[in-house]
Amino acid sequence: MASYVLRRLLGLAPVLLAAATLVWALLFLLPGDPARLIAGGQGVDSEVIDSIRAEWGLDAPAPIQYLRYLGKLLRGDLGVSYIQRRPVTAIIRDCFPATFILAVAAMLIAAGGGLVLGALAAAHHGRLLDHLVLILALLGTSTPVFWLGLMLMLLFASRLAWLPVLGYGMDGAIVPFLGIRLPEWDHLVLPAVTLSLVSLGAIARLTRTSLIETGSAEYLRTAAAKGASALRIFVYHALKNALLPVVTFVGLDFAALLGGAVATEYVFAWPGLGKTIVRAIALKDLPVVEGCVLFLTVVFVLVNLAVDLAYLYLDPRIHYGRAAA
Amino acid sequence: MRFRPLMVGRLLLGLALAAAVAPGLACGPGPARVTKAEQVFRFRLREDPPTLDPALSTDNLSGAVLNNLFRGLVEIDPGTLLVRPAVAASWTISPDRLTYSFRLRDGVTFHNGRPVGARDVEYSFMRTLRKETNAPWRWALDPIVGARDFTEGRSATIEGLKVMDDRTVVLRLKKPFAPFLGLLSLLPASIVPREVYEDPSKAYLRAPMGCGPFRLARWEQSNFIELLAFDGYYGGRPALDRVVARIIENRASATQEYRAGGLDSLDEVPPPDDKALQEELGSQILYYPYLATGYIGFNLALPPFKGNVKLRQAFNYAVDKKYLWEVLIPGYLPAHGIIPPGLPGYDPNLPGYPCDPARAKQLLAEAGYPEGRGLPPIALWVNTSEDNRRVAEAIQADLKNIGAPISIKEVDWSAYLKAVEGTPEAPGQAQMFRFGWFLDYPDTDAILRPLLHSSNFGPAGNHIRYRNPRVDDLLDRALSLTDEAQRAGLYRQAERVAVMEDAVWIFLNYYQSSTLFKPYVKGVVPTPLGEFRIPLERLRIEKSPS
Repeated sequence: MASYVLRRLLGLAPVLLAAATLVWALLFLLPGDPARLIAGGQGVDSEVIDSIRAEWGLDAPAPIQYLRYLGKLLRGDLGVSYIQRRPVTAIIRDCFPATFILAVAAMLIAAGGGLVLGALAAAHHGRLLDHLVLILALLGTSTPVFWLGLMLMLLFASRLAWLPVLGYGMDGAIVPFLGIRLPEWDHLVLPAVTLSLVSLGAIARLTRTSLIETGSAEYLRTAAAKGASALRIFVYHALKNALLPVVTFVGLDFAALLGGAVATEYVFAWPGLGKTIVRAIALKDLPVVEGCVLFLTVVFVLVNLAVDLAYLYLDPRIHYGRAAA
Repeated sequence: MRFRPLMVGRLLLGLALAAAVAPGLACGPGPARVTKAEQVFRFRLREDPPTLDPALSTDNLSGAVLNNLFRGLVEIDPGTLLVRPAVAASWTISPDRLTYSFRLRDGVTFHNGRPVGARDVEYSFMRTLRKETNAPWRWALDPIVGARDFTEGRSATIEGLKVMDDRTVVLRLKKPFAPFLGLLSLLPASIVPREVYEDPSKAYLRAPMGCGPFRLARWEQSNFIELLAFDGYYGGRPALDRVVARIIENRASATQEYRAGGLDSLDEVPPPDDKALQEELGSQILYYPYLATGYIGFNLALPPFKGNVKLRQAFNYAVDKKYLWEVLIPGYLPAHGIIPPGLPGYDPNLPGYPCDPARAKQLLAEAGYPEGRGLPPIALWVNTSEDNRRVAEAIQADLKNIGAPISIKEVDWSAYLKAVEGTPEAPGQAQMFRFGWFLDYPDTDAILRPLLHSSNFGPAGNHIRYRNPRVDDLLDRALSLTDEAQRAGLYRQAERVAVMEDAVWIFLNYYQSSTLFKPYVKGVVPTPLGEFRIPLERLRIEKSPS
């Protein structure tokens, strides 16, 4: 298995190269002059702009700029933000934890809620509850996050005043050694619930379908014949087998949440990575866009790897390594 | 045996709820702690300031924070726009208006407690002028003799900057330049401590330090910037103990946060068509003039506007500005000229061009296009935005009404700028374009010179390529006067020529600021410098005890 993991990690290199090249090329082709952007607003001397262009290497021909960029990447240097003038790694370090915490909370709600609703629907297959769950799941999946976030905010924060309207809070605890400040828990609830609902609907439907299929499997009848309790049959036999597609979805979806929480972060003023990327694109802060996209590519591949490894536990028939090679 | 997932479902429901709540259980002590006696003011910033280095700042988001952290030799009174002492207690100007001698105030200290001396002024100016700093607005210090030589590396010192003793600095100018004192109030002329700003790791970018009324406590990216009152501020400790700039991009979310009490002021007011919000918050909106003018520029180097003043006047009379700013997009003031209210030289009696379609039609005929016959295709360029589109469509309808059809060309900002600005040598391709000019510093020269002086063709501001020797002369003469009333008179004359004789633009609107303030926020000084320049050191919170 170790060699499998190693192979997968080595496979990351061409993926990163392709992603880096694509992002660099796309951003390079965008109209606008980064030097002018670095200089700031109106009324800037053209001499200052020229001097900035030279300082940041923006006067070099495109191939040279590209090679310099790759060279820096090889040294683990993601560059310096044009706007904030600090290393992109520092920017990612500052804003990724907020996104990660939000995505984890959202995924816990989505997975927990999705499994429960899916199980309920499967147990009442074809009956009212099943239909209700399906409708709810469909609503969850199809409601725009932006609108939903605002509605939840209006109801639970503005009208009922149960929860804060937005933000991360200023007084959360600091994680020892990492120096990362956690959100205040009440600030986390609304964004996490908003972000979770799309995934929750999908997980509920997947769980339901999967359970209905496995529910008729012969091995469950065998287990029952051997005297296993209903709970044991559900958790160890039915759920475990039904979980395989769900885990795949959760893995992929979690990776997507890390990069795709933009709308939620925007509505709730959550200081995360998605918002940082969108703003960097708007401002043409190329090093930040490139760095964040590469970082997310790595995260995506690693999460996928973790999902593949989770299969080992969920399905003993799956083997990675020499036999599979 | 029957399979009973319902029971298991309940179990899972419990687990899911526990999981949902768990992440929060490990977290902090709860809502923000605001003790009853603490004076806290919370305002909204749309996004993080691009920089907190005063030498690099050019935008109002940075200014919103930096103007509270830093001070220069002088500052602009936010209400009257007159220059007043700051770190300098007083100054004298030589009779030839070339030498400025500043006497520093006693007892001014940086936030680290070190006293501010004349050497700090020298260091700060050198830092801004140094080529490597790449200060976008280093031109603010360019009038000083030798500034350019220092920047270009031809001299190790600034010839026109002399430290006479620990409390006296003398600046010598290349030529008389009336707005110079105003330029010294800009952020790039702020005084900074050398021991902090020589740090090769540039820690000062995240932890700026000056001698202003507040000091920076925390800056959490995309979240908030927290300032604390500086006990050693030379002007007396501010009444506010703490200021929090909260980074909230989404306007609708920010409005809800303001309603819920999480913000004490908001830089965006409810849209006029939102009657419910207007009713709830309308009384908390403060409107006040802002130093900016909006216009439709005519490209005077291209046909059909080149050399045809009657056509330009016809277009002016055709546009119904009252409709634009009272019905279509309320909140601006209809303009009759160039110099906005609040600036010296503003002329309330300038007639301008009130809406008069009959006169417009007559002028169109006199211009050689009776009922629009023979008029070549004309495009009005705007950069992509909802407001721009609505304004352009209204103007298009007004012009069609007099028989002058135009098309609208809506493009992204960079393409727009390219078509509008042109270069110093060649005009841009846009025949007509919507533009707004926001003054860099509060001096009438800062709007008339870039936009109208013939030395500023191209990106410097004179996109329309207006050249009138009389206007050039009036602007140049005004620069060498120190009597503000005389200067204002010359600016008024220059404006009258450009507006009434040459009709260089369609004079559209004067901008206004509109800001929401909670009723318990006292000491607000509305300023034409904009909502982010309202001096926070004068604010106080007066909440009735609950």
